[in-house]
Amino acid sequence: MCTETTYLRNPDVVLRDEDEDGALLFNPDTNQVLVLNPTAACVWKNCNGKLSVAAMINLIKEEFDKVPNATVEEEILKFITDMAKGGYICLPEK
Amino acid sequence: MPTISNPKRCDIAITGKCNLNCRYCYYADEMASKIDLPTADWLSCFDQLAKLGVMEVGITGGEPFLRTDLFQVIDGIIENRMRYNICTNGTLINESVLASFDTGKRRLRLNNIQLSVDGSRAEIHNLSRPDSFERVIPAVRLLKARQFPVEVRVTINRHNLNDLENIARLILDDLGLPSFSTGEAFAMGMGCTNQHEVTLTSAEQFSAMKKLDLLLEKYPGRIIAQAGPLAKRRAFTEMEDARLSGVKTSRWCMGSLSGCGCVFSRIDVLHNGDIVPCHILHGFVMGNIKADSLGDIWQNHPYLIALRNRRNNPMQEVFGCENCVWASFCNGSCPAMAKEISRDFNSPSLFDCYRHFLEESSDEVQQYIKSRMTTPGKSERQINAL
Repeated sequence: MCTETTYLRNPDVVLRDEDEDGALLFNPDTNQVLVLNPTAACVWKNCNGKLSVAAMINLIKEEFDKVPNATVEEEILKFITDMAKGGYICLPEK
Repeated sequence: MPTISNPKRCDIAITGKCNLNCRYCYYADEMASKIDLPTADWLSCFDQLAKLGVMEVGITGGEPFLRTDLFQVIDGIIENRMRYNICTNGTLINESVLASFDTGKRRLRLNNIQLSVDGSRAEIHNLSRPDSFERVIPAVRLLKARQFPVEVRVTINRHNLNDLENIARLILDDLGLPSFSTGEAFAMGMGCTNQHEVTLTSAEQFSAMKKLDLLLEKYPGRIIAQAGPLAKRRAFTEMEDARLSGVKTSRWCMGSLSGCGCVFSRIDVLHNGDIVPCHILHGFVMGNIKADSLGDIWQNHPYLIALRNRRNNPMQEVFGCENCVWASFCNGSCPAMAKEISRDFNSPSLFDCYRHFLEESSDEVQQYIKSRMTTPGKSERQINAL
């Protein structure tokens, strides 16, 4: 994945805040649910078609003190890949 | 942050009109006395549900297909990013109706369509669901042929108790459905008026339990029960198992008045817009969708808070259960049935009470319930030491 890529939230997907520690993403077209911790929820919210993956990684590092620096990039890339596969996010139309 | 997660599901009785007159309809008393909401009010309701993040709307009635604006309502659900299911008597389903599902995402977002089959032939089915068998069975066949997610519910009652084997054969072998679910008629609405005709005695419950257990040997995993005799038998066996082994199941909260978790995940709306905890608790009106905020009611209404707090009552302190040997292994079951029977939802439902069931039954019954245990319990001496 190119870290300069930007992603856009699928407008049909619903974010449900469950409690202080997490949220759910619900894709009504596939009936699939993805459980999010606060970091993942932040990634989802910033899939706005403008912020690149690289910028998102930096944002997460700045906003979440406890994320492990060594693995954060790898984890975010995997999470974004999973979200794209599940239809929760997509590439913006050119 | 809300104090409790918003509801995941909302069941709406979209109409109080029905073209059948089922002998056990629990909603019958409500149907005639309230007026259906117009389309626009349902669409506003869905806006509210979407803001709460509701994922699924259950469309029930009355008979949903009697509403000429049904697909407009369905489109409102879809536009608000939700999925839906339909509970129908099936009598109005035909090729033309099913073709209407081909538009937009109506088919994609449909979780299931549930119909009721209460007999293997018209003479039995029509005793509890008059004049409908000849239309329902073709509807099930058509839905299956068109690859709709069709589900069948069998409401066990006195009319069909001796037909369960044939019903299973019809649904699973002839109609070729993967499974069916079972419940039972209960004394509410028409079920109360016709109680002696439809509701099962303890002896009949026991008979149904044995028949269903036998059928499950023939059709493993293909008979589902969230209520009714099979669900009761399983719950009773788990209670026996826990009492004998001292190990409580993690599947449900034994020892507190915790039966039914609906009030933590679901809220319902009646056909006139009245907001209720569930359709069976239709007397507990908390507001109306036209005037009140569903979100506020979900978070703050005293009825819902009281129903959620019901589980803080230890069963051994619940009136009437203080000396019951099963109290530590029971959850009091459905608050709506408790309310119907004792006028207080902070009481156990006698309808599902194991002690009550045993008191009305022979010794053979308890032996049978125990015989279904998957793990051998401890000896009676060890029980006394618990």
